[in-house]
Amino acid sequence: MPRTSVVECPGCPPIRALTFDDLGLIKVIEARHKENGVAKVVERWGDPDSSKCVLAASIDDREFDPLLAVARKCGSVELISPVNGDLRFSLSNGSRVDGGSEEDPVSGLHLFKKKTLQSSSRSCTLLSCSKKGHVVLRSVELPSGDATVSGTPLTWTVCGSGEVLCSKVHESEDYALFGGKRIEVNVWDLEKRTRIWTAKSPPKNSLGIFDPTCFTSATFLNKDDHRKLVMGTKSHQVRLYDISAQRRPVISFDFLEAPITAVTEDLNGRTVYVGNGSGDLASYDIRTGKLLGRFSGKCSGSIKSVARHPELPVIASCGLDRYLRFWDTESRQLLSAVFLKQHLTSVVLDSQFKDEVVGSDAPVIPDASVELDETLDEDKEDTPPPVKRKKKSKEGSGSKKKKTKKVTE
Amino acid sequence: MGYKQRKGKHDDGDDDSYKKDEKPKMTSGQQLLPSMIKNKEKRSAVHAKLKEQKKLEKRKKVKARDDLERRALELGEELPPRPVPRTIENTREADETICKPDDEELFAANDADEFSSVLKQEHIPKILITTCRFNSTRGPEFISDLLSVIPNAHYYKRGTYDLKKIVEYAKKKDFTSLIVVHTNRREPDALLVIGLPDGPTAHFKLTKLVLRKDIKNHGNPTSHKPELVLNNFTTQLGHRIGRLIQSLFPQDPNFRGRRVVTFHNQRDFIFFRHHRYIFENKEDKQADTKNTKNKDDKAEGVAKDRVIARLQECGPRFTLKLKTLQHGTFDTKGGEYEWVHKPEMDTSRRRFFL
Repeated sequence: MPRTSVVECPGCPPIRALTFDDLGLIKVIEARHKENGVAKVVERWGDPDSSKCVLAASIDDREFDPLLAVARKCGSVELISPVNGDLRFSLSNGSRVDGGSEEDPVSGLHLFKKKTLQSSSRSCTLLSCSKKGHVVLRSVELPSGDATVSGTPLTWTVCGSGEVLCSKVHESEDYALFGGKRIEVNVWDLEKRTRIWTAKSPPKNSLGIFDPTCFTSATFLNKDDHRKLVMGTKSHQVRLYDISAQRRPVISFDFLEAPITAVTEDLNGRTVYVGNGSGDLASYDIRTGKLLGRFSGKCSGSIKSVARHPELPVIASCGLDRYLRFWDTESRQLLSAVFLKQHLTSVVLDSQFKDEVVGSDAPVIPDASVELDETLDEDKEDTPPPVKRKKKSKEGSGSKKKKTKKVTE
Repeated sequence: MGYKQRKGKHDDGDDDSYKKDEKPKMTSGQQLLPSMIKNKEKRSAVHAKLKEQKKLEKRKKVKARDDLERRALELGEELPPRPVPRTIENTREADETICKPDDEELFAANDADEFSSVLKQEHIPKILITTCRFNSTRGPEFISDLLSVIPNAHYYKRGTYDLKKIVEYAKKKDFTSLIVVHTNRREPDALLVIGLPDGPTAHFKLTKLVLRKDIKNHGNPTSHKPELVLNNFTTQLGHRIGRLIQSLFPQDPNFRGRRVVTFHNQRDFIFFRHHRYIFENKEDKQADTKNTKNKDDKAEGVAKDRVIARLQECGPRFTLKLKTLQHGTFDTKGGEYEWVHKPEMDTSRRRFFL
C-alpha cells in the first residue's frame, strides 16, 4: 500500500471570515463545531470581473447593523452588509477626482466604528487613502431607503511625491498613519487633520549605502497607545517606532529575505505576526525583536493579509497561493485551510459570528460566555497534541524495545 | 573474557536462532520485520527467507493469472481484466487545487488573466530571447535551436544591461514574452520566462539538454507555425504555467507544417520535445499473415488500410522543473511570489504541484 500522509487539521473554533480577491468576488468562509471545525465556503457574492478587483476592505462588526466597506480597482467604494451581501451604498468616483480612481487606486480604507456625535445613528464614516496620498474622510447617511453622502467630504494630501502603500487607523480612531514608497511613516491627527509626527530615515550603513525607504505594511502595536508603530519594509525589515521616544526606529530586525507584506499586532500588545512575499509567516516578540516561532504549513505564495480574531486565539492569513488559512496563535499550528481559487487580496474576520445552534434565542451575554468556554476548550484541545505525540512516540519506542527484547530473549 | 562472553552469546544465538525465527512469527504474526533484528547475520537470514517466500508467492500468483487467461482464451470468453499497476501518479495525494472542467470561476479567471489577450489572438506573440551575462558554447547553440522552435522570436545580445531595463525595453517594443537562458559553466541550466507587460515570471530549472545536432536522425524543422501539445497541467498552478507556455506560441498553427511541440508534465517535470510527424497508409504484410491465424477477416480489412503516424524528432530536447512563479515581472528584491518551491513541501513522493 502506498504510504499516504494525511494532513491533520485540528479544525478551528466557530469562526466566520470574508475574503476578497482579484476578480472582485467576496467569499464567506465559516467553520462550525458541527463539522469538526472544518472551514468551508458558505457564500459567494459578486460576479467575476477583473476591473472590480478588491484593493482594500474594512469591516465594522458591531452587533447591530454591521457594515463592510470595499474599495475596488475601478475606483468605487462599496458599502456592503456582511451578513447577507446586500449592496447598501456605492460611492462611484465619476464625480470626484481625488480619493481613488483607475489612475490613482485606493491603497487603504477604514470604516469608523466610533459614532460621531453630531451625525445621526445610521450614518458611518469612511476614510480612504489613494496611492498618491489623497485622503478622503466622508460620512455616509444610511437611512433605511436611499443612502446619501452627508456634508462635504474632508480631503487632504499626506504626501507630495511617492506612493502610499500602507495606511492604518488606530483603534481609538483619532490617529492614522501613512507610509509607502519614498514616504517615511507619518502619523496624523484625524480631528485636526494635522501631521503630528514623521519618522526619520535610518542612517547609512557601514558601507555608506542608503536604503531608500519603502514601507509595505504597517500597524499600531497597542490598542490603547497610538505611539507605537510597527512597520514592515520592502527590504525585509520590521521596525518598531515609538513616537514618544525618537524619530528613528527603536528596534529593527530582518525577517528572511523577501519583502514584508503583512504585519498584524496581537491583542497583548507585544506580539506581532509578520508575513512576507515568499509565503513565510512568523510571530515576533516586538519588545526584544526575538522570533517566537514560524507558522509552518505549506504556505507557498506571498501573504497579502493577516487578520487577528478579537477574542479567539486564531489568526487568518491569505495570499497569492489562493488559500485561506486559520492558525492557532499559541501552538502556531494550522487549524484549517480553504482553497479559494483566486489570488486573494485581503481577509477580514467577523467577530460577531456564533454557532447558530447555540445562538438564536439565548441573550447576548451568556453567548459570549459560551464562546469563551469554547475558546478555553479549544485551548485545552490545542495544547495536548504535543504531549500526546510524545506519548505516542514513547509508546512506539517502548513497543519496539519490547519486540527487540523478544527477539533477543 | 570479553571474547568468551561474545563467543558464548554467539553460540547461544546460533542454538536459538532457529527457535527465534519461529517464535516471533507465532506471537506477533506479521509484526516482525527483519529490520528489528539487531544481529546482522540473523537479520539477513530472515530477510532472505522472507524474500524467497515472496518470490514464490508472486510466481504462484502470476501462474494462476496466466492459467485463467489461457483458459478464457480457449473457451473464447472475455479475458479477465488485467489489474492496473499502482504508480506514483495514480496514487497521487488528493489535491483540491486540481481544475475542474465545469468551474465557471476558472473560466472567468482565465478571461481576466495576463495571457488572455495573446491567447484570444488579440496580440501576436512576439518573444525576446536573451541570455545571462556570460554566454558561450552550448548557450548560443541552444538559443539558435530555440529560435527555430518558437516562431517570431528575436535574439538580443544581453550586453551589460540590467534585466529590469531589458524588461522595460521589451515592454516598449511590444514584446509579449521574454525568455532568459541562464548558463552556468557554459551549460544552460535555467530558464526564466517573463510574461509582458505585467505577466508572471516563471523560473525553471533546465536539465538534460540535448541539442538538435546531437540527436541522431534528427529532422530540420520548417518555418511553419507549430502545433502545441500541453500534457497533464492539471492543478491551478499547472494551468497557469500551461497558459504561460501557451502564450509563447502562435495560436493558429499551420497544420500543413506537421510540426508539433510538446510540453509533457509528469511528476512536476516538464519534458520538452519537438517533432515532425507524417501519416502514412501502410499495408503491413507481416501483420496480415499473423492476424489471419487468430482473427477473422475483419482484422485483415483493418490491417490493409491502416494509417501509421511516424515521428521524427527535431529540435532540442530538455526537461524543465518549476522553481518559482513570481507575481509581476522580474523583481528579485521586492517581488511577491505566487508559488515558491520550499523543501518542506517535499515530504511526500506522491505530492505534485503542477
